[in-house]
Amino acid sequence: MTLFDLAIKNIKRNIKNYMLYLSSIVFTIAVYFTFVTLQHSDNIMSEAGSVTKVSTLMNMSSILLLIFAAIFISYSNTFFLKKRKKEVGLYLLLGIRKRKIGALLFFENLIIGIGALIVGIILGRVVSSGMLAALVKLMGIEVSGGLPLSIAAIKTTALVFVALFLFTSFQGYRVIYKFKLIELFQADKKGEQPPKPNLFVTLIGIALLATGYYFASVDMYTSNAWKVVGLAMPLVILLSTILGTYLLFHTVLVYVLSLLKRNKRWAWRGLNMMTVSQMLYRIRSNAKTLTVIAILSATTITAGGAIFGMYYNVERDINEQMPNTFMWEGQPLTLDETNITMSKEVEVKTVKAEHSGSSNQYSMMSESVYNELARFHNVKEVALSVNEAYIIDSFVEVRFTEDEANKQLKLNDLTLDVIDYSTALVLNSDLAYITAVVPDRVYNQLAVEPTYYQLVNTVNEKEQLDLSAQIKAQLQDTHLSSYPEDYNEMIQAIGALLFVGSFLGLVFLIATGSIIYFKMMTEAEEDKDKYEGLYKIGISFKEMKKTIRAQVGIIFISPLILAIMHAGFALLTFSNLFLMDIVQPVIIWMLIYSSVYAIYYVLTVKYFTGVIKKRIQA
Amino acid sequence: MLTVEQVSKVYGKGAHTYTALNNISFHVDKSEFVGIMGPSGAGKSTLLNVIATIDQATSGKIIIDGTNLSTMKENVLADFRRQHLGFIFQDYNLLDSLTVRENIVLPLAIAKLPAKEINKRVEQISRLFGISDLLEKYPYQISGGQKQRTASSRALVTNPKLIFADEPTGALDSKSATDLLERLTQLNEQHQTTIMMVTHDAYAASFCKRIIFIKDGQTAKEIYRGLHTRKQFFQIILDELSQMGGASDDLI
Repeated sequence: MTLFDLAIKNIKRNIKNYMLYLSSIVFTIAVYFTFVTLQHSDNIMSEAGSVTKVSTLMNMSSILLLIFAAIFISYSNTFFLKKRKKEVGLYLLLGIRKRKIGALLFFENLIIGIGALIVGIILGRVVSSGMLAALVKLMGIEVSGGLPLSIAAIKTTALVFVALFLFTSFQGYRVIYKFKLIELFQADKKGEQPPKPNLFVTLIGIALLATGYYFASVDMYTSNAWKVVGLAMPLVILLSTILGTYLLFHTVLVYVLSLLKRNKRWAWRGLNMMTVSQMLYRIRSNAKTLTVIAILSATTITAGGAIFGMYYNVERDINEQMPNTFMWEGQPLTLDETNITMSKEVEVKTVKAEHSGSSNQYSMMSESVYNELARFHNVKEVALSVNEAYIIDSFVEVRFTEDEANKQLKLNDLTLDVIDYSTALVLNSDLAYITAVVPDRVYNQLAVEPTYYQLVNTVNEKEQLDLSAQIKAQLQDTHLSSYPEDYNEMIQAIGALLFVGSFLGLVFLIATGSIIYFKMMTEAEEDKDKYEGLYKIGISFKEMKKTIRAQVGIIFISPLILAIMHAGFALLTFSNLFLMDIVQPVIIWMLIYSSVYAIYYVLTVKYFTGVIKKRIQA
Repeated sequence: MLTVEQVSKVYGKGAHTYTALNNISFHVDKSEFVGIMGPSGAGKSTLLNVIATIDQATSGKIIIDGTNLSTMKENVLADFRRQHLGFIFQDYNLLDSLTVRENIVLPLAIAKLPAKEINKRVEQISRLFGISDLLEKYPYQISGGQKQRTASSRALVTNPKLIFADEPTGALDSKSATDLLERLTQLNEQHQTTIMMVTHDAYAASFCKRIIFIKDGQTAKEIYRGLHTRKQFFQIILDELSQMGGASDDLI
């Protein structure tokens, strides 16, 4: 039997253990292949040509994906090597040279890698048209024809992953060289110290988390802490949250579980005592992994939530910023009137004015012009008396205007009292400045040359791309504020981001889920004997399933809960910062994330109970 | 107490079958201390597993205290095991993550006894096995002998009708082994506990009142200690083993 045969045999025998790892890798390769294909696909890129960023985005995400894949593959590899320590030891004991064993493992790895690569590319090819459809839908563009098979994409994917597998295979080779036979004969269980609860460190852990959350949720404009720490604040939040997360797993949960265990009336009931004890060990010894998983998940949920939230808010934002379908400075044009509902010239005067301590350019508008526009846009009309003004600013911050002294608009030679503020714009924000409505008499007295804006409104403003092009052609160099153009650009950019983000998030999720699954696989092997003993002393399989479910559950749910909490606070800051309402999209995103996670939980419990059942019935 | 009637256990299917137990029958009375001996592969452990309801017999009847085990369902069996049987294993099977006390508490906790009652019973049994001072220690902090006494306490704390011991002294040094065997004997004599012990060690077997020899899945011979001293009985067992042949290799 050659080394190669042995490698094939080993793979066949271990295929069940490798299954989840293999599918994760295959999935990663498929996603990578799709990203690269899209990048190389001319018809997509030309259609999304207005957004050249899409290509860069795909490129960057594929690099990110690759880095992540490298970490995941090498982690899984060392994990499987550890699992096969006994086998390696046996080979050594039988007098096979390290070089040969190394070569054996190297072969195995390479065969698996290349197998995964082929399946991954085929799968990628199959799903990429589906993924393309998703991308096209998210970006709101139309693409004619399907996705041609890109040889370049196959080449890139194959090259990159073969390099990756070669690298990780060498890693395995190195591990064999460091292996000492004596390690095999040393006792398996050296008797781990039971984790001791520590109240002091527990309190520090809780305090760190609370600090991180507090600083993240306070108003950064008014908080004293932000004033003191300044721009280093995000770093402080990040550090205290990460350290707090680690301590939570390492100490806080241990403390809570110990308290639970001390309560005899609860603990001395069924297998509760054993469940808690096992959890104690498991959480403590996996604290680092759990921290990484919690932080990674938090990042994924935050990024996903933010992007999803942005996508969700695109329409609202644009509606807010661009009340008119088209707006430009200068002369009216002759246009095809079919879809036009309103076409109007308005006059404003641009002046510098001071308000609430800062000096800005304002587009002054007369009361009568404003009221006319307000009627059309269905917003509140105003009635101003002399020396009064009304400010319309989409970023108005109520807290700045609470102070009475600030409620004044100071122009060169006169001061106006601001009677109210509004966020409902009547002029598109990319052309006009902050609008200040003043009485007609005041307006006429302003000694400034007026600016003339042409406002055009249509039905179905999102679909007026043709009209937009028409106007643009006539305007030549003058800037056109165009609702349909901006809307489509935004949707394309954020749609692409959402697409890439979802798949990256999914890959992260699958990898973290797999890591927990692997961990539990080892623990199931270690615990087999324990459960056999329990079975013999008359504990039913049903009771065992209950405790396994709880034990695996805490490993899955504790990082998830933390991640959701972290992400919740991060997104709270995000939505406060950008004044976005993202509750609904974030909840949807969190639900999706949690349900994929739940699938992993079910798979893990199934595997764990399967191992125990097999042992009991043997 | 225990009746084994024509029990067979066949592994495998079709042409590749292996008969571990072949129509074996015997009877154990209440408060007996029975040893099961035999060479490796004779079917000792299979017999114990079948009687102890851990494994199922292919055919035959096993009756413990009037209850026919062969008709019981899986979950009922688990309850039966917990309530009426006690187990002592060669490798102790203690949970590393639990203290000595918690390990002993486990079967009582499963039975959902009140904490007060549990405490009382644990104190009692730990005194009997001389491990009262070790209750708060973890298994990795105590010696093999102490571990086995802990395991025995766990087996006995439920007041089982029948104790099964599978090579209980297999991993112990001779002093710890003697100590454990003496405590089992004491339990048998003073509390009328029925004990069935599988062993291939003649010294351990000499503590029993009766030995059943098994060979090729059948009872080969039975000997009673009667009025012999333990030392005399030990010699008788050794002679018996050498007569049976092959078995002497297993002895030391």
